[in-house]
Amino acid sequence: MIKYSQMKALIIEDFAEFARAVGTMLRNLGIQYTDTVISGEAAIQACRETKYDIILSDYNLGPNKDGQQVLEELIEFNLIKSDCTFIMVTAEKTAAMVMGALEFQPDSYLTKPFNSQLLKARLDKCIAKNQVLSPIKSLMRQSKWHEAIVKCDEVIQAYPKYRSTCLHKQFECFKNSTQFDKALSLVNNIINERATPWALKGLGSIYVEQEKLEKALDVFEQMTKEFPMALDGYDWLAKIQHQLGSPLDAQKTLEKAVVKSPKLIKRQKYLGQLAEQNNDLETTVNAYRQAVKYGQHSAFSKPDEYVKLTKSLGKKLQGNNSEDRSKIINEAETLFQQIETKFRDDSSTQFRGAVAHADFCSIIKDNKSVDKHLKSARHIFDRIEEHIGAEESLEIADSLKVLGLSQLAESVLEEAVEQYFDDPNFIRQAAKLTNNKHLIENASKANKLNNEAVRLFKKNKYAEAIEYFIQAAEIAPNNVNIRLNQSQALLKQYQSVERNPEHLHTSQDILRNITRLGFTDPRYMRFSELNRLNQLMLQKLD
Amino acid sequence: MSATKDDIFNLILASTVHDMKNSLSMLGESLNVILASVDQDKLNSDTKANYGVVQYESSRVNNSLMQLLALYKLENEQLPFNPNYVNVNDFFEEQRLRQLHLLEAKNIECEIDVDESIEAVFDECLLSTVLENIIGNAIRYSKSKIVLSCVQGDTTNILVLDDGPGYPGNMIEMAGSYMQGINQSTGSTGLGLFFAQKIADIHSHKGKNGSVHLSNDGALSGGTFEIRIP
Repeated sequence: MIKYSQMKALIIEDFAEFARAVGTMLRNLGIQYTDTVISGEAAIQACRETKYDIILSDYNLGPNKDGQQVLEELIEFNLIKSDCTFIMVTAEKTAAMVMGALEFQPDSYLTKPFNSQLLKARLDKCIAKNQVLSPIKSLMRQSKWHEAIVKCDEVIQAYPKYRSTCLHKQFECFKNSTQFDKALSLVNNIINERATPWALKGLGSIYVEQEKLEKALDVFEQMTKEFPMALDGYDWLAKIQHQLGSPLDAQKTLEKAVVKSPKLIKRQKYLGQLAEQNNDLETTVNAYRQAVKYGQHSAFSKPDEYVKLTKSLGKKLQGNNSEDRSKIINEAETLFQQIETKFRDDSSTQFRGAVAHADFCSIIKDNKSVDKHLKSARHIFDRIEEHIGAEESLEIADSLKVLGLSQLAESVLEEAVEQYFDDPNFIRQAAKLTNNKHLIENASKANKLNNEAVRLFKKNKYAEAIEYFIQAAEIAPNNVNIRLNQSQALLKQYQSVERNPEHLHTSQDILRNITRLGFTDPRYMRFSELNRLNQLMLQKLD
Repeated sequence: MSATKDDIFNLILASTVHDMKNSLSMLGESLNVILASVDQDKLNSDTKANYGVVQYESSRVNNSLMQLLALYKLENEQLPFNPNYVNVNDFFEEQRLRQLHLLEAKNIECEIDVDESIEAVFDECLLSTVLENIIGNAIRYSKSKIVLSCVQGDTTNILVLDDGPGYPGNMIEMAGSYMQGINQSTGSTGLGLFFAQKIADIHSHKGKNGSVHLSNDGALSGGTFEIRIP
């Protein structure tokens, strides 16, 4: 029996009468706590304040976020409990609805109209399933792969009807603990019986991990053919085609996917990037336009698509003059304004925006504005706190060189090379831009030292690794990766070799000195995890 | 551009259906509220029968809308097809609950005869629209009982049996070409069978497609509807 009386429910529905009817149904089930909101934005806010057990969301929520976007944000930003039951209420199931990524599916779809008996049956079913699977999810979240795999077997024994879901979870565990052979045999068994989208995606993703790209290509070609609605397949296929050196094929693949569902910002941006590489300016502009458009009501909107769109609009103006120039200029100016207001607090984006703005003005030969924007770029540069990304740094340095600000360009490159010397693709391009030969030499030195240290670390020779990390850090004192590596080696040394508290204090000092890492930086997760471990170990000292 | 015209029609159709379904939901709920406010013992059999009529007709309108929309999308290659493992017992139970008011109003028993562990791969949403229509009609024609059952072999066969007068002979003969069966006199049954056949057909596995079969030799000695999913 499910104890509805202790549960908290949220109804997301813009049609007030219907929301009231659903509220009555829930109360008749025994639920005493129900909240109702009329928009996706309000739903996100409500979930920040209350941890709900049940969420019933309409898919159509008026002009802003839809139900799917709400669900994606709730999962991405960790705003719902792992055993929360999310039911999408729809008038009809449309293609766009079911084509979201596999990991962002609701527990169930319920089509209108429904009566209270049907709602109860559906909730009973989903909640029972979530309760059974919740321990597995929780083990997986703690990266306890082995325990999770064992638990899956137990659940399959006790509840044969959750077999398929458990096998999927088991596969994820095998994959995450790099037991690729076991993962492969698991999905191959399923595919031999009957191929499912997740099993094919799993098989292909393992081949990618093993760098068997040709095999992965075959799998994703099969997946897009057999399950044309599972759009993840197109994303993977395009990525592999791109890696195998066929950006044209990759573009065609993604074009098929965006026709079916244009809403995914990441997919549109990747399409823009491919089209740019293929010199297909129309598609580039269009893809970035869509990315900006669908980002309007999404928390996944990034400054990147705004800047990229202004860049491709600039190229359009350079090309032919028959187009309506003033219309394009207006579009770009609006984008620059939006960059200024939407991402106001992000100084590195403001810097990038100012440089891009100057670049754009030089294309339309508005020299006065070029000077104005460069001046403000110079001004912002001094107060940038967070590290600028690798790709962004190249874009900015390139523009600055063209605009005649070589010195500022070199400063930008210097910082970026220090951060990203371990990315060979970045170094290749940075080498083309810089005039400072020492820069690349030093980067290669730091890279060698860091690699040697990592090699020693993997052989559990922590003390020696630390020596090399220290040498690498002398060349690149601001490099976050080296510092994180060093801290991790110190913690390992403390844990497994000598319990000298000095290691913990040194590690803490290192982490404290990492002050320019933004929340959105990909390295932030690792940073905060090391911080947490460090704190835990220090607490045990007392 | 004709593509834009299609898009506009698609949009109008979808938003109209959305509105109509909201209205239907409200009608149903309001009726339930009215009914709940009345002393059940004082309801006479006429009122109960009329209540059943409202339930039945609104679910028929809803079902016709779903079929219309799905067929339109199928023609335009926009129908989402999302086959997945489904527990057949749970699926039947939901079908029964969808029709609960009607079953009670007409005093008809709905038996579910399926092994609880049976799972099959099909698009739950589309099959649900198919069965809603078929079961609705079965309830309409049966005297006292319908049975939902499922047999699994090379294919998964889902059966709806009733104890009514059975399907007319010409309908049984039409097997495989229910398009001809759509006319004013066959009404929703004709469209429903045509729809069922279309949906059966888009379910394919290892080169085989699904199919629809009608007969009058079922265990309840009424009509038997069968949809086979590979």
